[in-house]
Formats: sequence, structure tokens, C-alpha cells
Amino acid sequence: MKKTNRILTVVIFAFLYIPMLVLVVASFNTGKDLTVFEGFTFDQYKALFQDEDLLTLLGNSLLISILSTAIATAFGTLSAVGIHNLNPKLRKTVMGLTNIPMTNPDIVTGISLSLLFVFVGSTLLQQKESLNFWTLLIAHITFNLPYVILNVMPKLKQMNPALQDAAMDLGCTPVQSFFKVTIHEIMPGIVSGAIMAFTMSLDDFVISYFVSGNGFLTLPVEIYSYTKKPMQPRVYAMFTLLFLLIFVLMVTMNLLQLRADRKKTVKQAKSVTAGQKVFRRVCAGVCAAAIVLGCGWLIVSTRQDKITLNVMNWGQNIADGSDGTMDIIAAFEEAYPDIDVNYTTYDSNESLYAKLAGGGLTVDLIIPSDYMIARLRQENMLLPLNFDNIPNYKFVQEEFKNTDYDPNNEYSVPYTWGTVGILYNSKYVDEADVTGWELLWNEKYKGKILQFDNSRDAFGVAQFLSGISINTTNENELKQVSKKLAEQNPLVRQYVMDQIYGIMEGENAWIAPYYAGDCMMMMDANPDLRFYLPQEQGFNLFIDAMCIPTCSENKEAAEKFINFLCQPEISGANMDYICYASPIEGARDYMDEYLAESEVIYPEQSILDKGVSYLYLPPEINRLMDNLFLEVRISGNQPEETEEEGSALPVILTLAGLGAAAIFLFLPKRKRK
Amino acid sequence: MKKSKSVLLSTPYILWMLLFTLIPLGVMGYYALTDPDTGGFTLNNLRDLGLFLPTLGTSVWYSVISAGICLLLGYPVAYFIAHRSAVTQKILYMLVMLPMCMSFLLRTLAWVGLLETNGIINILLGKVGIGSVEIIGTSGAVILGMVYNYLPYMILPLYAVIVKIDNRLIEAAEDLGCNGTQVFARVVLPLSMPGILSGITMVFVPAVSTFYISQKLGGAETMLIGDVIEKQFKTSNNPNMGAALSLLLMLMVLVCTGIMNRFGGEDEEGGVVV
Repeated sequence: MKKTNRILTVVIFAFLYIPMLVLVVASFNTGKDLTVFEGFTFDQYKALFQDEDLLTLLGNSLLISILSTAIATAFGTLSAVGIHNLNPKLRKTVMGLTNIPMTNPDIVTGISLSLLFVFVGSTLLQQKESLNFWTLLIAHITFNLPYVILNVMPKLKQMNPALQDAAMDLGCTPVQSFFKVTIHEIMPGIVSGAIMAFTMSLDDFVISYFVSGNGFLTLPVEIYSYTKKPMQPRVYAMFTLLFLLIFVLMVTMNLLQLRADRKKTVKQAKSVTAGQKVFRRVCAGVCAAAIVLGCGWLIVSTRQDKITLNVMNWGQNIADGSDGTMDIIAAFEEAYPDIDVNYTTYDSNESLYAKLAGGGLTVDLIIPSDYMIARLRQENMLLPLNFDNIPNYKFVQEEFKNTDYDPNNEYSVPYTWGTVGILYNSKYVDEADVTGWELLWNEKYKGKILQFDNSRDAFGVAQFLSGISINTTNENELKQVSKKLAEQNPLVRQYVMDQIYGIMEGENAWIAPYYAGDCMMMMDANPDLRFYLPQEQGFNLFIDAMCIPTCSENKEAAEKFINFLCQPEISGANMDYICYASPIEGARDYMDEYLAESEVIYPEQSILDKGVSYLYLPPEINRLMDNLFLEVRISGNQPEETEEEGSALPVILTLAGLGAAAIFLFLPKRKRK
Repeated sequence: MKKSKSVLLSTPYILWMLLFTLIPLGVMGYYALTDPDTGGFTLNNLRDLGLFLPTLGTSVWYSVISAGICLLLGYPVAYFIAHRSAVTQKILYMLVMLPMCMSFLLRTLAWVGLLETNGIINILLGKVGIGSVEIIGTSGAVILGMVYNYLPYMILPLYAVIVKIDNRLIEAAEDLGCNGTQVFARVVLPLSMPGILSGITMVFVPAVSTFYISQKLGGAETMLIGDVIEKQFKTSNNPNMGAALSLLLMLMVLVCTGIMNRFGGEDEEGGVVV
């Protein structure tokens, strides 16, 4: 029995630590992949300390967690004293309130707070940036408070009330007695509460994900959006360093405590107070550092005379200086030293739309695709551009002017164009099967097929296959298409956007529909990949263009950025990295020859003529497609298809029943106590 | 007199908690009852919840299994730790807690690298000559991810309870003629019940609402309720449906934890023992 326990414990610890070991090993890897160790290097650590963005994010995370912990600890401790002295009935209620954020799933807490912030900020106060540093801080304080309260309360209960009376008899004011007596008695509770709050806050992803805007991000939120391509190994280096830091911290804390315990038994009170003094100083130091750091950050952020230009673009859709390409943003910031670019990404037109429509953000420049521009324009979410600030518009080729989505050339300047085709791995896929979109429904490749994780593109694929117009607004046709997609669901390994890179390059899936430029990038990384454009059935031809949304606060700076990107040599250098075709006259001459000549990027005109563009669809059709697509996504869970439109009654009854059960389950307990 | 004054210290806290926990839930309820396009009152969001009940069922099923596995794996470990010397206990406790402080996103990504079709485990299996197994994208991978991420949440409360069990009780039971199994079933297990319940709750609640684990480790057929909610907010732009789903999830979790509390020990006022 004991032996099996010991073995099991060792196995469990291995289970807990092997994934972390994988990350640590990866931080010394010369290659980018987690799975293949190519050679030993310290370069990732060097890269980490040169990566300002990553360090800023780490700083943001630390700032939020230290600040929220300091506030929550002070606030929570005082509140705990107050709660402790409440009458028992009220105390129960308040403790019930405290337990809400603890028992609620994080996702519910995050969503409810973000809805509150957006509702109050955007709807009631007409604020543009209602999700910002302060909302993030409030959210963190809110979920940290219960940890402090729940740790301090038991200590207050254990404390002998006579101690306080004695202090007051000896002439202390209540405030003095708190600082001279009570606080020492409850110190262990305060400390463990603060430590828990800090670790929770530092590692929090879910709540931060819902309450942060694009102006102030924490590390976990950014890591979540780093899904494109294998993650940069410097992130693993950071993980390793953080791991070491926390390890050392924990060990020292335990050692100090052990020593204090030992001294306590040997020498009694005197040395204990000495230990506590040291401890108090450390705590005070941490609090002071937090406050200084916080104030410093506030001063820096308010005093900044640079204009912040918030650019939101597709993931991996601008040259960033890696692999010998040009760093476009750095070049722009050099040309315009008074502008500071804050660059964030989205992974589909639909998620961009959700971000904009959800409110709470300040965005100055976006690069959506044609149909999304038409939608944003229809819904008055774009600002007309001032072309006096964009003289380089003259370089835009004529065929990209007067388009369907922007007939009068008022709102957009094209950025790239391209096609959607099939990317497949020639090592595993039989060339004879590559005949058209039906390849994505081929049973032979079950579990090796990927599909778009956005409704419009996924529907598009099925629509080309079924010979239905990709711009249909016919409800029955759309339902027919969604049935086709549901048929495909059991064959699909995963619905992906940015994650496609790792999966296709690592040969973990073999067939996927995707955008030509991204396919080209993946083909660079894995030479077995091929691109196929189903000419007979038709394919999507798209234009991504730069626009300024109505929530912009620096329109002129955004126009400067647009103008900058329209220079042929800049556009050409940009395309070298993102592998799309440029709508700028002369840009092709600046591109690498093999890209400029590539059939994938620049197909022949006769082929291009067969491409079809997505057009604007009315909102109710977009909603219908979103809902149908979600039904396809969850069809794996459905027992069988049910056609009937249910009434609201049964669900409401279920909800009411659940609510009643919840109240019933919690109430009698309170009475009993 | 002093007491009545210090009571005032709790007022800002009560106001804060009302403002940032209860009122947001109210706002969520308001969103759940409004139409995304017109902004008017509607019950449609609640009606459409019916569509997602199977998904909710899958989520509950996965998290119950994960909580069960966590209990089976976590109990022996907690028992083992609780019966070491004080110093060893401290070290082991710290080692259990350490993973909880590290980014769970990155740790889950590491599992992707391990489990991929061409991942580390399959490479090793290939070298041994067993050939590759398809783990990623299955429900098994999602459950594995849940167990891995939330196992410490099970071990820590279990340890906290087991370490407090008075050894004299066990000795007394042995003196009275119990064999090892009986001691465990009649003394140790009943006494560790509060830890078991708190551990199960602490694994179940985050597991049932996760979306990251299923997005990374799951496949096309393992969409969980957390994914659906996240999608409603972040891609479908339907916060109203998302709010309705969150409401459903919250009530479900509330009922589950309520049942747990009902059967659980009376000694709460701090339910969390991390």
C-alpha cells in the first residue's frame, strides 16, 4: 500500500512537471518547434531581453498584479475587521456575497464585468475606450478581495478579543490597538491572502481576456493571441526565468518560515518579533514599490507627448523584420517620431467586427476584407478618409478603385489581394484526389482535414462545392449549405484560423482551405505542401483594405500610416514577408523575384476571371449564417437532428427550476447556522 | 462603542462587492433578455438555449470524469504527502503548488507539443516501435488537459484535511480491531470528506467552463459550453446569447456547488483551502 502510494506520487509529480520540462528545454532550442530539438543555444534569452514588446507585457502583468494585490490586501484586511464585528446574520450575508466570485466560473465573472463596463462606459457615458487599464484593475481587485477576506477572517476569529481590550485599557485608541495588536495577530492570514491574490492575478487569463481592451494588455492575454505559427521561443525563455524566480521565492519563503518556527520553539517571543519585523519591512517595501511603480506608470502614460496610433490587423499580416525582411512599423516610427504604433491582431473579419461592435476599444486603423468593409460602411462604422493626407493613393492600381464595397473610393485604400484555395500535403494526399473542393469531404482523409473557423469562409467553401452563389440570401439555400458543412464535421480535425500554421507545417493535418498568401508562407516552411485553386467550381477572390473606424481618435496619424504603406517600395518589402499580392503599382518590382513570379500569389488573368468576391449581406443573413455555423460546430454533441422550433417555455421552466433549487440549497444552511 | 464604529469599515467593501459582483450579474441578466439587433425585450435567447443543452451536457460529463480522475489520483498523493516529516511535507506541498503559479496557457501548449500526431510522445513511441497513436483532438485529450491543469486544486484541499486527522483516532480504530481497509473506510475517508468535496468543486467549476483546453487539445467534436460562450462574444458578436448561456452555466454551477455544500462539512466560512 505504502509502496504503491510512493510510486503513484512520483508518477503524478512527473505528470505535473514533464510539460514544464518541455517548455524549459524548448527555451534552449535553436529551432522554433517544441517537438524537435535542433541544438543548444542561449539566443532565446538574448532575444527576450531585446524584445521590448514582450517586456512591456510582462511589466503590465506585474503592474496589474502588484497594484491589485496591494489594494486588495489593504482594503480586504480593513473590511475583514469590519465584517468580523457585524452581527452574525449580516455577516453570513456578506460572506455569501464574498463567495460569489469564488464559486462563479471565471468566464461568468469576466463576462458580467465586461458587460457592466461596456454598458456603463459606452452606452451611458458615451466613452470611446471603456475597457482600459482601470477596468482591468477593478476586475483584478474584485477577484482578489475574497482571497484576502477568506484568509484573514479565520485569524480574526482565532484572536483573543481580550488582547484588544487590554491594549485599550493601557491607553491605546482603537486605531492604535489595531496597528499595535490586531495586525500582528492576523499577519499570517494577511500574508497568505496576499500571496494567493498575487499568484491568481499574475496568471489570470480568462477574466482579463474579457475585460481588457487593446490599449493595455497583460501577458497571458497576449500569449493567447500568439497562436499563429509556432510560438516564438523567447516566450519559453521567459517561462523558464519566471519559473526559476517563483521557485526561488517559494523556497526562501519556506526556509524563512521553517527557521522562524524553530526559533519560536527554542527562544520564545523575542526572536519571533524580530522575524516579524523583517517580514513587515519586506511587506512595506513591496507595497511601496507597487505604489511607486503605479504612480510612475501613470505619470509616464499621461505625460507622453507621443500620439498613440492603434493599428489592428490580421495576425502575421505585416513585415516585422524577421527573416531579413523590413520592420515596417519601426520604419514608420522612424519616419514619424511623434507617433507610437500600438499594434494588435485579430484572426477573422468576424472577430474584428465583434471587437468593434462590442465597444470599449479605441482603434485608429483596421484592415478588413471587402465584404466586411461593405458591412461596416453600411452600419456607419467607418470614417471617410481625407485623401489630401494620402497623396500616395495615386499608386493604387485602377482595378482596385471603384469596387463594390467602396464604389466612390471614400472609405478604404487597398492593402493586399489574394485568393482562397486548398492547401494540401503531397506526401499524404493522392494527387488524383485533388480535383476540387470535394477533397475536403473525402472520407479517405478523415481526421486530417481542417476547415475555416469563421462562418463566411466556411460557408463559401461549401457553397462553391454545391454550386450555390456565395452571396445568396436565400434561407433554404443557406440551410442546405449548413447541412453540407454538418456532413463534413465528423471528418474535420479542427476548425482553425491562425492555428493552421503549426498544424499544417508539422503535418498533423493534410488538407485545409486557406488564404493564398498564408499558404505560400507555409509552403516556404514545408516544401511538401501544395496549393490548388479549384478553377472550375470557382473560388473566392478578396481584397483587404485599410479603413479608419468611427472609434478612431487619431485619424490624421492613421492617414499618414496608410500613405506610408502605399509607397511602392514599402508595399513591396511588406509583401516579401506576408506573401500576398500588392495592389500598388510598381510594388511587384520591389518584391523577391520568386514571390513576384509565383503563380500562387499572382495567378494568370484567365484564372483570376473565375474568382468571385464576397458581397455585402444584410445583418439578418449574417446572424443566420453565424447561428447555422455554430450549430454545425456543436453538431458533434447533438444526439440527432431535431427540426422543430422549440418554444421558450420549457427552457424558462428549467431555468426557474435551477434557480429555485439553488436558492433552496443555500438558504436552509444559513438558517441552521 | 468601538465595535459599532469598526463595523463601518465593512461598508465600502459591501458597496464594492454589490457594484462589481451583483450588479454585473444583473446587467448580464438584462443582456440575456434583450434582442441583439433591436435592443428590445425578448425571450428568444432563452428559447435558443435548448439548442445548447447537449453541449452543456458534454461539458458536465467531461468535468465530472476529470474530477473523478483527479480524486482517484490526488487522494493517494495527498495521503502520501500528509504522512511525511514536516520538512518533506513543506517541500512536496510547494512542488504541488508551483505549477499552479505558472502560465496555464503555456503549460497546455506544451501538451499540444507532447500529444500532436507528430508530437514528442508519438516520436518516442515510433522509436520504440509501437507506432503513433491519435490522442489530440479526442475527448481523451481534453480530459487529460483538465486533469493536468486542475489536479493541484484537488491535492491541496485533500492534503489540508488529511494532515489534520488525529492519529489517535486511527490507533483507536486499530485497537478496536479494524484492519487497514476498515480504518480507511470508517475513519480516514469520512474525516476527509470536506476536503474531497471542496476538491471536487474546485476541479469541476473551472473544468466545466473552460474554453482554452478544448480549443487547444480538442478537435471538431469536442466543442464545450465555454467555447460557445467565448464565440458568442468574440466572433459571432452576440453578447445577448452569450449572456443567456453564461446565466445557464452559472445556475448549473450554483446548483452543483449547492448540492456539494449540502452534503459537505459544516466547517466552511472559507471554503477554499489552497
